Amino acid sequence: MKQSDATGLHGFLTGNGKQETGNCIFCGSMALGAVNNPDLNRYHQTKEQIFNESQIIEEARKDPGRFGILYEKYYRQIFVFVFRRTGDEDIAGDIVSDAFLKAMVALPKFEFKGLPFSAWLFRIALNEVNMYYRKSSRDRVISLDQTNLTDVIAEAGGEKESEENRQLVMKLLSTLTAEEMQMMELRFFEKRAFAEVGEILGITENNAKVKTYRIIDKLKAALKKTDM
Amino acid sequence: MSGYKFNIDPRPPKEEKIAEHRDFGKVMHNYKRMTNPLYRTPLYRYRKIFLGLLLVLVVAFIVSEYGEEHEQEMKQHKADSIRTADSVAKKIERDRAH
Repeated sequence: MKQSDATGLHGFLTGNGKQETGNCIFCGSMALGAVNNPDLNRYHQTKEQIFNESQIIEEARKDPGRFGILYEKYYRQIFVFVFRRTGDEDIAGDIVSDAFLKAMVALPKFEFKGLPFSAWLFRIALNEVNMYYRKSSRDRVISLDQTNLTDVIAEAGGEKESEENRQLVMKLLSTLTAEEMQMMELRFFEKRAFAEVGEILGITENNAKVKTYRIIDKLKAALKKTDM
Repeated sequence: MSGYKFNIDPRPPKEEKIAEHRDFGKVMHNYKRMTNPLYRTPLYRYRKIFLGLLLVLVVAFIVSEYGEEHEQEMKQHKADSIRTADSVAKKIERDRAH
């Protein structure tokens, strides 16, 4: 498994977009260099940042108006996260508003586990996206880069990289279930760490690893049949 | 491909659109509306509760009307039976006197 997210992607973005340095609680690595793609919702934070955030959460529990700080901090990240899954700004805007409203209402139930608050927000946003697709008859939008497809081909053991193979991989990807596709999106198309994937999907890190490898095995077997 | 629409190399969302939808005031307003106790909000805002309550009132009215009608019928029936019993008793007394 490639560990591309352990290289230059671990920038620590603060609410105002500035980078900070420190050890990421997910991978322990230092924040080095620029964030390759700030749109890909990096939420790696230092212990200090997470502690400061927990204090804001406590304040927001007593005074809902204080939730505005968290709203401003994470709005863009959540918006991009939802936009990648809907492909429409207006639909994303509505879903994000609902997600933040639900987060505000459920804030008293939020349990601080020493993880970034954004993980909880991503989970709520993902549930809202799933709910949107359950209600509508639209096809799920899967956003990915050409390089993501190349990575998937390499992971699945494919050697040749051609347009034909890309089409084949996309065809195989379309046979995955919604749950499997979410895993692929988080891990391969957005390059998130397993701990993040687990936290967003509400499963353990190990479970996330096992499920991801099962999907890769499934793709490998399917590719073998096609003699790619 | 069924169920999925692949968006290869997607464009990032438009900044003006993000700014357009970014409105904490609206979220706060909805939050207050959602968490407000029932008595502070007019009942007609809660359509289901309003319709449910209306249905209960209509059923209660029908039951009470039916009950009242039934009670009157019973009273009438009782009065009729007393009257019949009286007339029978009078007739028996009259027969005895003869």
